[in-house]
Amino acid sequence: MVESTEETIAVDPVETTDHDLMLAVRAGEIARLGDLFERYHRPLYGFFVRLTGQRTASEDLVQLVFYRILKYRHTYRDEGKFSAWIYHLARKVAADHFRKNAHAPVSLNEPDDLHEVPDHAPHAAEQAAQADDLALMHRALGALPLEQRELLTLHRFHNVHHEELARLFDCSVGAVKVRMHRALGALREHYFKLRQERAA
Amino acid sequence: MNCQRVQETFVDYQAGTLSAAESAAVREHLKICLTCQREWAGLQETLLQLDRLPPEEPSERLRTNFYAMLDTHLRQAREPSPFALMHNRLDRFFENLVPTRPALQFALSTVLLVAGVIVGARYLQPAAPTPQAADPATKSQLAELQQKFDSMSQLVAYSLAQQQPANTRLQQIAATLAHGDADAKTLAGLVSTLAFDPSTNVRLSALEALYAHADRPLVRQGVLASLPRENSPLVQLAMIDFLTSVRDRDAAPAFEALTRDAAIDIAVRDAAQRALVQL
Repeated sequence: MVESTEETIAVDPVETTDHDLMLAVRAGEIARLGDLFERYHRPLYGFFVRLTGQRTASEDLVQLVFYRILKYRHTYRDEGKFSAWIYHLARKVAADHFRKNAHAPVSLNEPDDLHEVPDHAPHAAEQAAQADDLALMHRALGALPLEQRELLTLHRFHNVHHEELARLFDCSVGAVKVRMHRALGALREHYFKLRQERAA
Repeated sequence: MNCQRVQETFVDYQAGTLSAAESAAVREHLKICLTCQREWAGLQETLLQLDRLPPEEPSERLRTNFYAMLDTHLRQAREPSPFALMHNRLDRFFENLVPTRPALQFALSTVLLVAGVIVGARYLQPAAPTPQAADPATKSQLAELQQKFDSMSQLVAYSLAQQQPANTRLQQIAATLAHGDADAKTLAGLVSTLAFDPSTNVRLSALEALYAHADRPLVRQGVLASLPRENSPLVQLAMIDFLTSVRDRDAAPAFEALTRDAAIDIAVRDAAQRALVQL
Protein backbone atom coordinates (compact mmCIF):
# COMPACT_ATOMS: atom_id res chain seq x y z
CA MET A 1 0.00 0.00 0.00
CA VAL A 2 1.26 3.44 -0.82
CA GLU A 3 1.54 5.65 2.24
CA SER A 4 -0.58 8.72 1.78
CA THR A 5 0.93 12.06 2.67
CA GLU A 6 -0.90 14.63 4.77
CA GLU A 7 -3.98 12.51 5.26
CA THR A 8 -2.22 9.82 7.26
CA ILE A 9 -3.00 10.24 10.94
CA ALA A 10 0.33 10.85 12.65
CA VAL A 11 0.12 10.73 16.42
CA ASP A 12 3.19 11.24 18.54
CA PRO A 13 3.24 8.34 20.99
CA VAL A 14 4.23 10.62 23.88
CA GLU A 15 1.15 12.75 23.24
CA THR A 16 -2.20 11.91 24.72
CA THR A 17 -3.83 9.19 22.65
CA ASP A 18 -7.06 9.73 20.73
CA HIS A 19 -8.70 7.31 23.08
CA ASP A 20 -7.64 9.26 26.20
CA LEU A 21 -8.78 12.53 24.64
CA MET A 22 -12.15 11.03 23.83
CA LEU A 23 -12.51 9.64 27.35
CA ALA A 24 -11.84 13.15 28.66
CA VAL A 25 -14.50 14.57 26.31
CA ARG A 26 -16.91 11.88 27.45
CA ALA A 27 -16.18 12.79 31.07
CA GLY A 28 -17.18 16.40 30.37
CA GLU A 29 -13.93 18.06 29.29
CA ILE A 30 -15.54 19.28 26.11
CA ALA A 31 -12.65 21.61 25.24
CA ARG A 32 -10.47 18.52 24.56
CA LEU A 33 -12.54 17.95 21.44
CA GLY A 34 -10.42 20.72 19.90
CA ASP A 35 -7.37 18.40 20.02
CA LEU A 36 -9.29 15.65 18.28
CA PHE A 37 -10.49 18.14 15.69
CA GLU A 38 -6.90 19.16 14.92
CA ARG A 39 -5.94 15.50 14.42
CA TYR A 40 -8.90 14.36 12.38
CA HIS A 41 -10.51 17.20 10.45
CA ARG A 42 -8.19 16.90 7.45
CA PRO A 43 -8.56 13.12 7.00
CA LEU A 44 -12.30 13.42 7.42
CA TYR A 45 -12.47 16.28 4.95
CA GLY A 46 -10.48 14.21 2.41
CA PHE A 47 -12.80 11.27 2.98
CA PHE A 48 -15.90 13.36 2.32
CA VAL A 49 -14.43 15.11 -0.74
CA ARG A 50 -13.59 11.72 -2.27
CA LEU A 51 -17.15 10.57 -1.60
CA THR A 52 -19.12 13.66 -2.55
CA GLY A 53 -16.82 15.59 -4.88
CA GLN A 54 -18.05 18.77 -3.14
CA ARG A 55 -15.80 20.91 -0.99
CA THR A 56 -18.31 23.10 0.81
CA ALA A 57 -20.61 20.18 1.55
CA SER A 58 -17.62 18.18 2.80
CA GLU A 59 -16.73 20.91 5.31
CA ASP A 60 -20.31 20.86 6.57
CA LEU A 61 -20.17 17.08 6.88
CA VAL A 62 -16.93 17.24 8.92
CA GLN A 63 -18.61 19.74 11.21
CA LEU A 64 -21.57 17.39 11.54
CA VAL A 65 -19.31 14.49 12.55
CA PHE A 66 -17.82 16.53 15.41
CA TYR A 67 -21.27 17.71 16.41
CA ARG A 68 -22.37 14.06 16.64
CA ILE A 69 -19.28 13.18 18.68
CA LEU A 70 -20.40 15.77 21.22
CA LYS A 71 -23.97 14.63 21.11
CA TYR A 72 -23.23 10.90 21.38
CA ARG A 73 -20.05 11.13 23.48
CA HIS A 74 -21.65 9.02 26.23
CA THR A 75 -21.94 6.09 23.81
CA TYR A 76 -18.17 5.93 23.27
CA ARG A 77 -16.93 2.67 24.77
CA ASP A 78 -13.71 2.23 26.70
CA GLU A 79 -12.54 -0.73 24.65
CA GLY A 80 -13.31 0.97 21.36
CA LYS A 81 -10.71 2.33 18.98
CA PHE A 82 -11.35 6.01 18.37
CA SER A 83 -10.42 6.03 14.67
CA ALA A 84 -12.83 3.18 14.00
CA TRP A 85 -15.57 5.03 15.88
CA ILE A 86 -15.06 8.34 14.09
CA TYR A 87 -15.07 6.67 10.66
CA HIS A 88 -18.18 4.79 11.67
CA LEU A 89 -19.83 8.14 12.45
CA ALA A 90 -18.46 9.61 9.22
CA ARG A 91 -19.97 6.79 7.16
CA LYS A 92 -23.34 7.37 8.80
CA VAL A 93 -23.12 11.13 8.14
CA ALA A 94 -22.24 10.44 4.49
CA ALA A 95 -25.11 7.97 4.15
CA ASP A 96 -27.54 10.56 5.58
CA HIS A 97 -26.16 13.16 3.15
CA PHE A 98 -26.70 10.92 0.14
CA ARG A 99 -30.16 9.97 1.35
CA LYS A 100 -31.17 13.62 1.61
CA ASN A 101 -29.58 14.48 -1.73
CA ALA A 102 -30.61 11.36 -3.61
CA HIS A 103 -31.76 13.48 -6.56
CA ALA A 104 -28.32 15.12 -6.88
CA PRO A 105 -25.75 12.71 -8.35
CA VAL A 106 -22.15 12.71 -7.19
CA SER A 107 -20.09 15.30 -9.00
CA LEU A 108 -18.00 13.48 -11.56
CA ASN A 109 -16.01 16.58 -12.23
CA GLU A 110 -13.06 17.33 -10.06
CA PRO A 111 -13.49 20.19 -7.62
CA ASP A 112 -12.05 23.52 -8.75
CA ASP A 113 -8.35 23.97 -8.09
CA LEU A 114 -8.12 20.31 -7.17
CA HIS A 115 -4.75 19.64 -8.69
CA GLU A 116 -1.84 21.94 -8.40
CA VAL A 117 0.83 21.16 -10.97
CA PRO A 118 3.52 19.12 -9.17
CA ASP A 119 6.79 20.98 -8.77
CA HIS A 120 8.93 18.00 -9.65
CA ALA A 121 7.38 17.46 -13.12
CA PRO A 122 10.15 18.15 -15.59
CA HIS A 123 8.19 19.50 -18.54
CA ALA A 124 5.03 21.52 -18.96
CA ALA A 125 3.54 18.97 -21.38
CA GLU A 126 4.08 16.13 -18.91
CA GLN A 127 2.60 18.19 -16.12
CA ALA A 128 -0.51 18.87 -18.17
CA ALA A 129 -0.88 15.20 -19.11
CA GLN A 130 -0.52 14.12 -15.48
CA ALA A 131 -3.10 16.64 -14.29
CA ASP A 132 -5.38 15.37 -17.03
CA ASP A 133 -4.92 11.75 -15.89
CA LEU A 134 -5.64 12.70 -12.28
CA ALA A 135 -8.82 14.44 -13.36
CA LEU A 136 -9.87 11.21 -15.12
CA MET A 137 -9.07 9.19 -12.02
CA HIS A 138 -11.17 11.55 -9.94
CA ARG A 139 -14.08 11.07 -12.33
CA ALA A 140 -13.57 7.29 -12.37
CA LEU A 141 -13.65 7.22 -8.57
CA GLY A 142 -16.79 9.36 -8.52
CA ALA A 143 -18.50 6.93 -10.90
CA LEU A 144 -18.18 4.01 -8.43
CA PRO A 145 -20.99 2.98 -6.08
CA LEU A 146 -20.80 4.61 -2.64
CA GLU A 147 -19.58 1.52 -0.80
CA GLN A 148 -16.72 0.94 -3.25
CA ARG A 149 -15.70 4.61 -2.97
CA GLU A 150 -15.75 4.35 0.83
CA LEU A 151 -13.72 1.17 0.77
CA LEU A 152 -11.04 2.45 -1.60
CA THR A 153 -10.81 5.86 0.08
CA LEU A 154 -10.45 4.46 3.59
CA HIS A 155 -7.95 1.84 2.50
CA ARG A 156 -5.78 3.85 0.10
CA PHE A 157 -5.89 7.34 1.66
CA HIS A 158 -6.47 6.69 5.34
CA ASN A 159 -4.50 3.48 5.85
CA VAL A 160 -7.46 1.69 7.37
CA HIS A 161 -6.47 -1.97 7.40
CA HIS A 162 -8.55 -4.91 6.31
CA GLU A 163 -9.39 -5.96 9.88
CA GLU A 164 -10.72 -2.52 10.76
CA LEU A 165 -12.59 -2.29 7.47
CA ALA A 166 -14.20 -5.61 8.26
CA ARG A 167 -15.51 -4.15 11.54
CA LEU A 168 -16.66 -0.93 9.85
CA PHE A 169 -18.46 -2.77 7.06
CA ASP A 170 -19.68 -5.48 9.40
CA CYS A 171 -18.27 -8.38 7.39
CA SER A 172 -15.31 -10.79 7.41
CA VAL A 173 -11.77 -9.88 6.37
CA GLY A 174 -12.12 -12.24 3.44
CA ALA A 175 -15.27 -10.44 2.31
CA VAL A 176 -13.42 -7.10 2.55
CA LYS A 177 -10.66 -8.42 0.28
CA VAL A 178 -13.19 -9.68 -2.25
CA ARG A 179 -14.98 -6.30 -2.23
CA MET A 180 -11.67 -4.49 -2.56
CA HIS A 181 -10.76 -6.64 -5.55
CA ARG A 182 -14.10 -5.86 -7.20
CA ALA A 183 -13.81 -2.13 -6.38
CA LEU A 184 -10.34 -1.93 -7.91
CA GLY A 185 -11.52 -3.82 -10.98
CA ALA A 186 -14.44 -1.41 -11.41
CA LEU A 187 -12.18 1.61 -10.91
CA ARG A 188 -9.71 0.32 -13.47
CA GLU A 189 -12.51 -0.32 -15.94
CA HIS A 190 -13.93 3.24 -15.53
CA TYR A 191 -10.50 4.82 -15.66
CA PHE A 192 -9.38 3.09 -18.87
CA LYS A 193 -12.75 3.69 -20.49
CA LEU A 194 -12.43 7.43 -19.78
CA ARG A 195 -8.90 7.40 -21.17
CA GLN A 196 -10.10 5.72 -24.34
CA GLU A 197 -12.91 8.28 -24.70
CA ARG A 198 -10.39 11.09 -24.28
CA ALA A 199 -8.08 9.59 -26.91
CA ALA A 200 -10.93 9.11 -29.39
CA MET B 1 -2.74 -21.25 -9.16
CA ASN B 2 -5.23 -20.45 -11.90
CA CYS B 3 -5.75 -16.96 -13.38
CA GLN B 4 -8.80 -16.09 -11.24
CA ARG B 5 -7.06 -17.06 -8.00
CA VAL B 6 -3.94 -15.11 -9.00
CA GLN B 7 -5.94 -11.98 -9.83
CA GLU B 8 -7.83 -12.21 -6.54
CA THR B 9 -4.53 -12.09 -4.67
CA PHE B 10 -3.29 -8.98 -6.55
CA VAL B 11 -4.41 -6.63 -3.74
CA ASP B 12 -2.40 -8.56 -1.14
CA TYR B 13 0.46 -9.16 -3.57
CA GLN B 14 0.72 -5.44 -4.23
CA ALA B 15 0.53 -4.65 -0.49
CA GLY B 16 3.16 -7.30 0.28
CA THR B 17 0.88 -9.15 2.68
CA LEU B 18 1.03 -12.52 0.89
CA SER B 19 3.12 -15.36 2.30
CA ALA B 20 6.49 -16.01 0.64
CA ALA B 21 5.20 -19.18 -1.02
CA GLU B 22 2.11 -17.44 -2.39
CA SER B 23 4.12 -14.48 -3.64
CA ALA B 24 6.49 -16.86 -5.44
CA ALA B 25 3.54 -18.67 -7.00
CA VAL B 26 2.06 -15.38 -8.24
CA ARG B 27 5.45 -14.31 -9.65
CA GLU B 28 5.86 -17.61 -11.47
CA HIS B 29 2.36 -17.37 -12.90
CA LEU B 30 2.91 -13.79 -14.09
CA LYS B 31 6.01 -14.90 -16.01
CA ILE B 32 4.00 -17.22 -18.21
CA CYS B 33 0.45 -15.74 -18.34
CA LEU B 34 -0.09 -12.80 -20.69
CA THR B 35 -3.69 -12.21 -19.52
CA CYS B 36 -2.61 -11.88 -15.89
CA GLN B 37 0.34 -9.71 -16.91
CA ARG B 38 -2.10 -7.29 -18.58
CA GLU B 39 -4.39 -7.36 -15.53
CA TRP B 40 -1.48 -6.76 -13.18
CA ALA B 41 -0.13 -3.86 -15.28
CA GLY B 42 -3.60 -2.28 -15.47
CA LEU B 43 -4.07 -2.60 -11.72
CA GLN B 44 -0.63 -1.13 -11.05
CA GLU B 45 -1.37 1.87 -13.22
CA THR B 46 -4.80 2.37 -11.66
CA LEU B 47 -3.40 2.26 -8.15
CA LEU B 48 -0.56 4.56 -9.13
CA GLN B 49 -2.99 7.17 -10.42
CA LEU B 50 -5.33 6.69 -7.48
CA ASP B 51 -2.52 7.22 -4.98
CA ARG B 52 -1.38 10.29 -6.88
CA LEU B 53 -4.64 12.09 -6.16
CA PRO B 54 -3.46 14.96 -3.99
CA PRO B 55 -4.71 15.38 -0.43
CA GLU B 56 -7.56 17.78 0.04
CA GLU B 57 -7.19 20.82 2.28
CA PRO B 58 -10.25 22.35 3.91
CA SER B 59 -10.70 26.10 4.02
CA GLU B 60 -10.36 28.15 7.20
CA ARG B 61 -14.14 28.28 7.31
CA LEU B 62 -14.23 24.70 8.72
CA ARG B 63 -11.99 25.57 11.67
CA THR B 64 -13.92 28.79 12.38
CA ASN B 65 -17.26 27.02 12.33
CA PHE B 66 -16.03 24.15 14.50
CA TYR B 67 -14.64 26.39 17.25
CA ALA B 68 -17.81 28.49 17.20
CA MET B 69 -19.81 25.30 17.79
CA LEU B 70 -17.41 24.22 20.55
CA ASP B 71 -17.70 27.62 22.26
CA THR B 72 -21.47 27.37 22.20
CA HIS B 73 -21.32 23.96 23.87
CA LEU B 74 -18.81 25.18 26.45
CA ARG B 75 -21.02 28.14 27.35
CA GLN B 76 -24.04 25.89 27.70
CA ALA B 77 -22.03 23.55 29.90
CA ARG B 78 -20.97 26.40 32.16
CA GLU B 79 -24.44 27.92 32.48
CA PRO B 80 -26.39 25.97 35.08
CA SER B 81 -29.70 24.69 33.86
CA PRO B 82 -33.00 25.65 35.62
CA PHE B 83 -33.22 22.08 36.90
CA ALA B 84 -29.75 22.35 38.47
CA LEU B 85 -30.73 25.68 40.10
CA MET B 86 -33.85 24.13 41.61
CA HIS B 87 -31.80 21.16 42.80
CA ASN B 88 -29.35 23.47 44.55
CA ARG B 89 -32.15 25.39 46.27
CA LEU B 90 -33.66 22.14 47.55
CA ASP B 91 -30.26 21.05 48.79
CA ARG B 92 -29.79 24.33 50.66
CA PHE B 93 -33.28 24.08 52.17
CA PHE B 94 -32.57 20.64 53.64
CA GLU B 95 -29.12 21.72 54.75
CA ASN B 96 -30.71 24.51 56.84
CA LEU B 97 -33.16 22.07 58.40
CA VAL B 98 -30.52 19.66 59.67
CA PRO B 99 -27.96 20.74 62.31
CA THR B 100 -24.35 20.75 61.19
CA ARG B 101 -22.67 19.64 64.44
CA PRO B 102 -22.42 15.85 64.87
CA ALA B 103 -23.54 15.96 68.50
CA LEU B 104 -26.71 17.83 67.57
CA GLN B 105 -27.30 15.47 64.63
CA PHE B 106 -27.04 12.51 67.02
CA ALA B 107 -29.42 14.13 69.50
CA LEU B 108 -31.94 14.91 66.78
CA SER B 109 -31.75 11.35 65.46
CA THR B 110 -32.32 9.93 68.96
CA VAL B 111 -35.31 12.19 69.58
CA LEU B 112 -36.83 11.21 66.24
CA LEU B 113 -36.27 7.51 66.94
CA VAL B 114 -37.86 7.66 70.42
CA ALA B 115 -40.77 9.70 69.09
CA GLY B 116 -41.26 7.15 66.31
CA VAL B 117 -41.32 4.22 68.75
CA ILE B 118 -43.83 5.97 71.04
CA VAL B 119 -46.13 6.96 68.21
CA GLY B 120 -45.92 3.49 66.71
CA ALA B 121 -46.73 1.78 70.03
CA ARG B 122 -49.62 4.17 70.64
CA TYR B 123 -51.34 4.22 67.27
CA LEU B 124 -50.10 1.31 65.16
CA GLN B 125 -51.15 -1.75 67.21
CA PRO B 126 -52.31 -4.49 64.90
CA ALA B 127 -56.03 -5.19 65.20
CA ALA B 128 -56.04 -8.97 65.10
CA PRO B 129 -59.49 -10.38 64.31
CA THR B 130 -60.91 -12.48 67.18
CA PRO B 131 -62.69 -15.76 66.54
CA GLN B 132 -65.85 -14.26 68.01
CA ALA B 133 -65.82 -11.56 65.40
CA ALA B 134 -66.13 -14.09 62.57
CA ASP B 135 -69.58 -14.45 61.05
CA PRO B 136 -71.39 -17.87 60.92
CA ALA B 137 -70.55 -18.43 57.23
CA THR B 138 -66.85 -17.96 57.91
CA LYS B 139 -67.10 -20.26 60.91
CA SER B 140 -68.64 -23.07 58.88
CA GLN B 141 -66.01 -22.64 56.19
CA LEU B 142 -63.27 -22.79 58.81
CA ALA B 143 -64.83 -25.93 60.34
CA GLU B 144 -65.01 -27.56 56.91
CA LEU B 145 -61.41 -26.70 56.24
CA GLN B 146 -60.40 -28.09 59.63
CA GLN B 147 -62.24 -31.34 58.87
CA LYS B 148 -60.54 -31.64 55.48
CA PHE B 149 -57.22 -30.95 57.10
CA ASP B 150 -57.80 -33.63 59.75
CA SER B 151 -58.80 -36.27 57.22
CA MET B 152 -55.82 -35.35 55.08
CA SER B 153 -53.58 -35.68 58.14
CA GLN B 154 -55.02 -39.10 58.87
CA LEU B 155 -54.47 -40.24 55.34
CA VAL B 156 -50.88 -39.00 55.39
CA ALA B 157 -50.26 -40.62 58.76
CA TYR B 158 -51.74 -43.89 57.54
CA SER B 159 -49.72 -43.75 54.32
CA LEU B 160 -46.58 -43.25 56.35
CA ALA B 161 -47.55 -46.13 58.63
CA GLN B 162 -47.96 -48.35 55.56
CA GLN B 163 -44.28 -47.93 54.83
CA GLN B 164 -43.44 -49.87 57.99
CA PRO B 165 -43.27 -53.71 58.12
CA ALA B 166 -46.35 -55.70 59.16
CA ASN B 167 -44.92 -56.81 62.53
CA THR B 168 -44.26 -53.12 63.43
CA ARG B 169 -47.84 -52.28 62.53
CA LEU B 170 -49.01 -55.17 64.73
CA GLN B 171 -46.90 -53.83 67.60
CA GLN B 172 -48.51 -50.43 67.19
CA ILE B 173 -51.96 -51.99 67.42
CA ALA B 174 -50.88 -53.92 70.52
CA ALA B 175 -49.75 -50.62 72.05
CA THR B 176 -53.19 -49.20 71.24
CA LEU B 177 -54.80 -52.13 72.99
CA ALA B 178 -52.80 -51.34 76.12
CA HIS B 179 -54.46 -47.92 76.27
CA GLY B 180 -57.97 -48.37 77.48
CA ASP B 181 -59.00 -44.83 76.87
CA ALA B 182 -58.26 -44.42 73.17
CA ASP B 183 -59.30 -41.10 71.71
CA ALA B 184 -61.22 -40.57 68.49
CA LYS B 185 -58.02 -40.09 66.53
CA THR B 186 -56.60 -43.43 67.59
CA LEU B 187 -59.89 -45.17 66.85
CA ALA B 188 -60.01 -43.57 63.40
CA GLY B 189 -56.50 -44.91 62.82
CA LEU B 190 -57.60 -48.41 63.77
CA VAL B 191 -60.65 -48.20 61.49
CA SER B 192 -58.37 -47.05 58.63
CA THR B 193 -56.07 -49.99 59.31
CA LEU B 194 -59.06 -52.33 59.20
CA ALA B 195 -60.19 -50.85 55.91
CA PHE B 196 -56.91 -50.48 54.05
CA ASP B 197 -54.10 -52.52 55.53
CA PRO B 198 -52.90 -55.17 53.04
CA SER B 199 -52.10 -57.73 55.77
CA THR B 200 -54.97 -59.98 56.91
CA ASN B 201 -53.33 -60.47 60.31
CA VAL B 202 -53.01 -56.74 60.85
CA ARG B 203 -56.65 -56.16 59.85
CA LEU B 204 -57.77 -58.93 62.24
CA SER B 205 -55.71 -57.41 65.04
CA ALA B 206 -57.21 -53.99 64.34
CA LEU B 207 -60.70 -55.46 64.55
CA GLU B 208 -59.79 -57.19 67.78
CA ALA B 209 -58.56 -53.87 69.18
CA LEU B 210 -61.82 -52.21 68.15
CA TYR B 211 -63.88 -54.73 70.21
CA ALA B 212 -63.03 -52.77 73.35
CA HIS B 213 -64.70 -49.71 71.84
CA ALA B 214 -67.61 -51.39 70.08
CA ASP B 215 -70.06 -49.14 71.91
CA ARG B 216 -68.75 -46.07 69.98
CA PRO B 217 -70.84 -45.25 66.89
CA LEU B 218 -67.66 -44.20 65.09
CA VAL B 219 -66.23 -47.71 65.49
CA ARG B 220 -69.44 -49.47 64.43
CA GLN B 221 -69.82 -47.30 61.38
CA GLY B 222 -66.18 -47.86 60.47
CA VAL B 223 -66.47 -51.65 60.65
CA LEU B 224 -69.70 -51.59 58.70
CA ALA B 225 -68.18 -49.40 56.01
CA SER B 226 -65.15 -51.71 55.76
CA LEU B 227 -67.20 -54.87 55.33
CA PRO B 228 -68.17 -54.50 51.61
CA ARG B 229 -64.56 -53.84 50.58
CA GLU B 230 -63.15 -56.74 52.57
CA ASN B 231 -62.18 -59.75 50.47
CA SER B 232 -60.69 -62.07 53.06
CA PRO B 233 -63.27 -64.61 54.36
CA LEU B 234 -61.50 -64.70 57.73
CA VAL B 235 -61.82 -60.99 58.28
CA GLN B 236 -65.35 -60.96 56.80
CA LEU B 237 -66.41 -63.59 59.36
CA ALA B 238 -64.80 -61.63 62.18
CA MET B 239 -66.56 -58.44 61.08
CA ILE B 240 -69.93 -60.21 60.92
CA ASP B 241 -69.35 -61.53 64.45
CA PHE B 242 -68.40 -58.02 65.61
CA LEU B 243 -71.49 -56.37 64.14
CA THR B 244 -73.76 -59.17 65.41
CA SER B 245 -72.33 -58.92 68.91
CA VAL B 246 -73.13 -55.21 69.11
CA ARG B 247 -76.58 -55.77 67.55
CA ASP B 248 -76.06 -53.16 64.95
CA ARG B 249 -79.28 -53.11 62.93
CA ASP B 250 -77.71 -50.84 60.39
CA ALA B 251 -75.65 -53.85 59.32
CA ALA B 252 -78.68 -55.76 57.98
CA PRO B 253 -78.52 -54.44 54.40
CA ALA B 254 -74.80 -55.25 54.24
CA PHE B 255 -75.46 -58.79 55.47
CA GLU B 256 -78.22 -59.28 52.90
CA ALA B 257 -75.90 -58.14 50.19
CA LEU B 258 -73.35 -60.71 51.31
CA THR B 259 -75.88 -63.54 51.23
CA ARG B 260 -76.86 -62.64 47.66
CA ASP B 261 -73.32 -62.38 46.34
CA ALA B 262 -72.36 -65.73 44.80
CA ALA B 263 -68.71 -64.72 44.65
CA ILE B 264 -68.51 -64.65 48.44
CA ASP B 265 -67.25 -67.69 50.30
CA ILE B 266 -70.12 -70.01 51.31
CA ALA B 267 -69.08 -69.95 54.98
CA VAL B 268 -69.30 -66.19 54.98
CA ARG B 269 -72.71 -66.22 53.32
CA ASP B 270 -73.97 -68.71 55.92
CA ALA B 271 -72.60 -66.57 58.73
CA ALA B 272 -74.31 -63.51 57.24
CA GLN B 273 -77.57 -65.45 57.02
CA ARG B 274 -77.31 -66.46 60.67
CA ALA B 275 -76.47 -62.94 61.69
CA LEU B 276 -79.55 -61.61 59.93
CA VAL B 277 -81.67 -63.98 61.94
CA GLN B 278 -80.00 -62.87 65.18
CA LEU B 279 -80.53 -59.19 64.37
